[in-house]
Amino acid sequence: MTGLMGGWATLAAAGGGAAAHAAPGIPAPGAGSPIALLLLGLPLLAAALCGVFAATGNRSKLPAFTSVAALGACFGIALMLFLNWNGQPATARAFDWISLDWGAGKGQSFDAHFGVYIDGLTLLWMLFVTGLATVIALYSMEYMSHDVGLGYCRYFAAFNLFVFSMTALVMGDNLLMLFLGWEGVGLCSYLLIGYYYKRAAAVAAAKKAFIMNRIGDLGLLMGILSTFVVFGTIEYAPLFQMIASGKTASGAELASHWSVWGIPLMFAVGAFGKSAQFIFYTWLPDAMEGPTPVSALIHAATMVTAGVFLIGRLYPLFTADPALIALSVVAWAGVITALWAATIEMAIFDIKRVMGYSTISQLGFMFAGMGLLTPTGAAFHTFTHAFFKATLFLGVGAVMHGFGGQLDLRRLSGVMWMRGFGLVGIAMLVGSINLSGVPFTAGFFSKDVILAQAFTTPGTMIWGAQAAAWLLLLTAGMTAYYTFRTFLRVYVGPREFVPGDDAELLDLGRHPKGVSLDEWHAQHGHGHGHGHGHDDHGHGSDHRAAVRPDFDPTTEEFDPHPPGWSMKAAIGLCMVLSILAAGVYFMKPAVGNHGGWVAGMVGQSSAAFASPGEHHGGAAEHAAKLGTFLGYDPHKVMYYVSAGVGLIGILIAAFLHGPRGVWSLFIGNRTSAAVAPRADALANLFGPLTRAARNKYYVDEIYDALVRTPLRVLAHIFHILDQGLVDGLVNLCGALPRMLARSLRPSQSGVLQGYAVGMAAGLGLILIVVWVLMLR
Amino acid sequence: MSTPLLMTMLGAADQPLPMVEKLRYLVPEMILFIATVVVMIVGLSPNRAVRRSCAAVSIAGLAAAGAAAAFGPAFEGGVLPGLMPFAKVLIAAVGVLLVMVVTGTVDRDFEGEVSRGAAFDALRGNRAEFYAFALFSLTGLMLVASADDLIWLFLALELTSLPTYVMVSISTARSRSQEAGVKYFFLGAFGAAMFLYGFAMLYGATGTTALYGPGSIAEVLAARAASGEGLGMLATLGLVLSIVGVSFKIAAVPMHFYTPDVYEGAASSVSAFLAFVPKAAGFLTIILLLAAVGWHFGPAGTALPEPIRVTLWVMAALTMTVGNVLAVMQKSVKRMLAYSSIAHSGYMLVGVIVGPGSQAGATGSLQSNGLAAVLFYLLCYGFMNLGAFAVLAVLEKRSGGEREEIETVEDLKGLCRTQPLMGWTMVLCALSLLGLPPLLGFWGKFFLFTSAIGAGEIALVVVMGLNSAIAAYYYLRLVGAPLLESSDAGASFTEAPAPARKWAAVLSAASVLVLVLPAGWLIQRANNATGVRPPTTPMKASGGTADSASTSAPAVRAAR
Repeated sequence: MTGLMGGWATLAAAGGGAAAHAAPGIPAPGAGSPIALLLLGLPLLAAALCGVFAATGNRSKLPAFTSVAALGACFGIALMLFLNWNGQPATARAFDWISLDWGAGKGQSFDAHFGVYIDGLTLLWMLFVTGLATVIALYSMEYMSHDVGLGYCRYFAAFNLFVFSMTALVMGDNLLMLFLGWEGVGLCSYLLIGYYYKRAAAVAAAKKAFIMNRIGDLGLLMGILSTFVVFGTIEYAPLFQMIASGKTASGAELASHWSVWGIPLMFAVGAFGKSAQFIFYTWLPDAMEGPTPVSALIHAATMVTAGVFLIGRLYPLFTADPALIALSVVAWAGVITALWAATIEMAIFDIKRVMGYSTISQLGFMFAGMGLLTPTGAAFHTFTHAFFKATLFLGVGAVMHGFGGQLDLRRLSGVMWMRGFGLVGIAMLVGSINLSGVPFTAGFFSKDVILAQAFTTPGTMIWGAQAAAWLLLLTAGMTAYYTFRTFLRVYVGPREFVPGDDAELLDLGRHPKGVSLDEWHAQHGHGHGHGHGHDDHGHGSDHRAAVRPDFDPTTEEFDPHPPGWSMKAAIGLCMVLSILAAGVYFMKPAVGNHGGWVAGMVGQSSAAFASPGEHHGGAAEHAAKLGTFLGYDPHKVMYYVSAGVGLIGILIAAFLHGPRGVWSLFIGNRTSAAVAPRADALANLFGPLTRAARNKYYVDEIYDALVRTPLRVLAHIFHILDQGLVDGLVNLCGALPRMLARSLRPSQSGVLQGYAVGMAAGLGLILIVVWVLMLR
Repeated sequence: MSTPLLMTMLGAADQPLPMVEKLRYLVPEMILFIATVVVMIVGLSPNRAVRRSCAAVSIAGLAAAGAAAAFGPAFEGGVLPGLMPFAKVLIAAVGVLLVMVVTGTVDRDFEGEVSRGAAFDALRGNRAEFYAFALFSLTGLMLVASADDLIWLFLALELTSLPTYVMVSISTARSRSQEAGVKYFFLGAFGAAMFLYGFAMLYGATGTTALYGPGSIAEVLAARAASGEGLGMLATLGLVLSIVGVSFKIAAVPMHFYTPDVYEGAASSVSAFLAFVPKAAGFLTIILLLAAVGWHFGPAGTALPEPIRVTLWVMAALTMTVGNVLAVMQKSVKRMLAYSSIAHSGYMLVGVIVGPGSQAGATGSLQSNGLAAVLFYLLCYGFMNLGAFAVLAVLEKRSGGEREEIETVEDLKGLCRTQPLMGWTMVLCALSLLGLPPLLGFWGKFFLFTSAIGAGEIALVVVMGLNSAIAAYYYLRLVGAPLLESSDAGASFTEAPAPARKWAAVLSAASVLVLVLPAGWLIQRANNATGVRPPTTPMKASGGTADSASTSAPAVRAAR
């Protein structure tokens, strides 16, 4: 089962010191197709068009159609690039962006081209970014339709700008392009989280996301600057060559230079910020304030994986360090994040936040994969996670959309059995089994690669690799539990719900008592594609002010509002894609023999790396150096172990939260949406711990106390110092000239004789001075 | 006072250049003189339209003089051969704006009577004299720049000053102007006496009045310095007396007392004139005198003789401090600007102390040439100070039939809203006077600072920095009042019926912004203008020491 790991680099490396594990030199890039530049141009054009639509006061769904078309074309181009790709890295340049030199020597010029660098990693990322962006733009077309007008244009402009930024981040051929994209996605994330800018929570969440990311960005920026200082270039191709040569620009031995661990650590901090890893993760749950499609695309599938991409892109730098310090940090940050977030998910009730924390947790798995020396596993998990997490988010979004914004799992039950929600339920089930790692799903295979490698990687290379592996395995079980907790509570069981309090969404399903929703809509022309023909339905970004008075249960009823065709199509597409994603594991890799298609892609990229234990050697030889799973070869047994752990997690979820009946395998005990006696008893058993987890371990409060409060106190102290000391000094300085002036003032008496005497006296004094000087 | 007279006097002296040859350098002055004569006649015309062409004729004359100077030859006979074109073009340019500002100063009531039907009486009108005096003064200023002889210098200085005494007196009908004129005249005469005495001592010490050329003051002093005996007591005293006397013109301590009283007493338009013309004359004189001495003394051989350096040092430090500190206390805008003009003289004296730096001339370092910094600062100061005064000259209000100018800072309140053009002119000019980047004043100060640092005058730089900070105190009041505060209900100022003043103000404000762009080119011109020429042939008297002079004299530098 060793063969599960992939990568052509395997063939070259065979144990020995860490340096021997470094990838062989990455081939110099050839000339890429300039068509790749369209991937940058089209989303930007679409964003500009959305701006034009906004300026011309367009009130149709034109921005959505434009976006779907542009992004679909991008996906087509990405696919075409992939199919025509010869397996070698390639670059294509649009123009010279920055070109400076201040001397002829090395490191005395700075070049950054506006161009793209195409390798396996780039194509892998571009395929799922553009593919999912297209699907989610389709979903948004309906989801955001209540806001047709200025807000709709704003949404799609930011959406397209996001895709442009993500493309720049992934495809850029230098670190400055990456930085441009990095900041661009941060900006778009801010704009989209704060889309409902009249809601205080959304604005606060947007700011939080931006500020937390800025802290990480400092690390990234320092990394880029240090890279330039140390290596004299920020372009990937020469940078990789220089790293392969083992020397810095000044000729120092790279392996013993501070930069070999210093620069990767800086980049790691940047990656932690963007990918919401431990201690920076707090912004991501709050980012769920944004529209759900945004959460699905940006805060689950694509943007948050930028950190994983960054590490993969710079893997030669990370692995150049003989001690692999930065990768150990990355591994442990990932493990802690995965476990930490999973414990919170088990306790909270907001299903969208569950998905948010689940994303954090799964990102932790990816980082752990990168850190534990399986970039293939990390990239594979990123790839599969993108599809199944998008499916889950879109499913949650459909529920939110249909139940007046209700997200509390104690107030929803049996959604799957309600009219129009069948597909949503099936999609949620598919997403859930993927996330839980049920055998033969995409999530199962990708998580398995990481877990197997985690047990294989020896502690001599990555500090505490064995402990990390066990914690990851535990987290995998917890993942299965919380995933099915949500599914079993919300989607199956007795049909029961309490509508949410989002007036806008509530509007979609309310009708007077005694009239069915369909009749009501037929009467009022409020058919599907809500937002049209609705007399008093507010348009534009001030829509929140224009809703009808509060829901009155005595005269009105609420029926769940099922998703329309475009939402269903998007959910269905994502579901199918997440099922198909499992198939790539069985595709023959382009290089190497195992690990499937993704392993081939990663093997033909900067992240190519010979994971320890990948190579078939004598069993005895491996047993001596590599880690094992209780003495067994992890690559052989991990299939069964992780499948078993996942099933145990699901069974516990069914036992605690499942409704009575077949969908919880006859072991459930839940009788209504809110009442699950065993679960409640268990939660009470762990009383304080549950409460702490429910309150996210008070991390926000701790940050508030540790960072914000001291800053405030400091600000007050400085304010007082400024008022008293600094202003006092300044005022004193200001008073001195006035005092001097008062003493000089009498000389300006206005009397002619006085002036003449003054002049003569002045001359006399000067002459005396000169006299003294002459005599000296 | 006319050119033939000068010719006779100068021709009598034993000059290296025959007078006739010298005339070709004086074309601008001659053009201005012709314009003066025309103005004098035109201004007396009974025809109103003809009378009113005085300003136009003056401006045309100045423009022609400026053009003649720009395309004229370098002054081969001067100590500073490149100085003349630069200085004269500068004088002509600022002169045009000054003439625009002084339009409408005199004869307003008289012209009012005439337009109401009274008969025109040439004896009652002041127009002809006023413009003629302004042009005479500017002619004198140009002649200062052309001077290569002490007598010429004295006459040119007096030609610059004497008309201004009259201009102050007749600028308004109020007794305050008369008082200011009298004060100005007496104290000016006192100053003139001082530097005339100094000139006489210099003549006594060197036996010549020529500043440059064979047997001139420059050569005598150079030979003396080379022989190691120093300048000598008499020559030093003469120089100190001359400098202190001339510092009346630049309003430097201890000769500054008159400034606020005279500026306040004169009409704002004439104050603008006073703030530039005598000051430029004074600085040109000091530069010419010191160029004859040379900046090749001191331990490094790049400084003035120690007594003179100390004199100037003390004067510079005191001048800026006294000017700025007293400006802080002023409520009257005019007095504030008067003190500020004192302070600016102090800044410029720093550049004079520094001298042309180690490599003045075409190849020199722009940042170390103090003289270039002074000339450039004079240009900056000319524009920005003129703008501030022009605003005061434009705005007036009537109270009880009496015209009143802007008096206190309070009167400026809300000007950016009530009179946006004038308000913003005041804001820009005050910020530039303060030296805020990127305005013109900043670059002026910048080069003064760099040259002083280059010359090692760190203490003076510190004093200058502190003074710039103090200056912010009152300049920011001139910025804040028009820009940030709202105007009081009662004070409503209208524009004076002389549109040229408004244009002068706007042009000044514009140049504060626009001249920043060619600042590098301008400072390069100034740098070229300040190559001090070393004495060519050592005096016969010191004959045999010629070789030793060139080796032992610390640094008699090749300037071109």
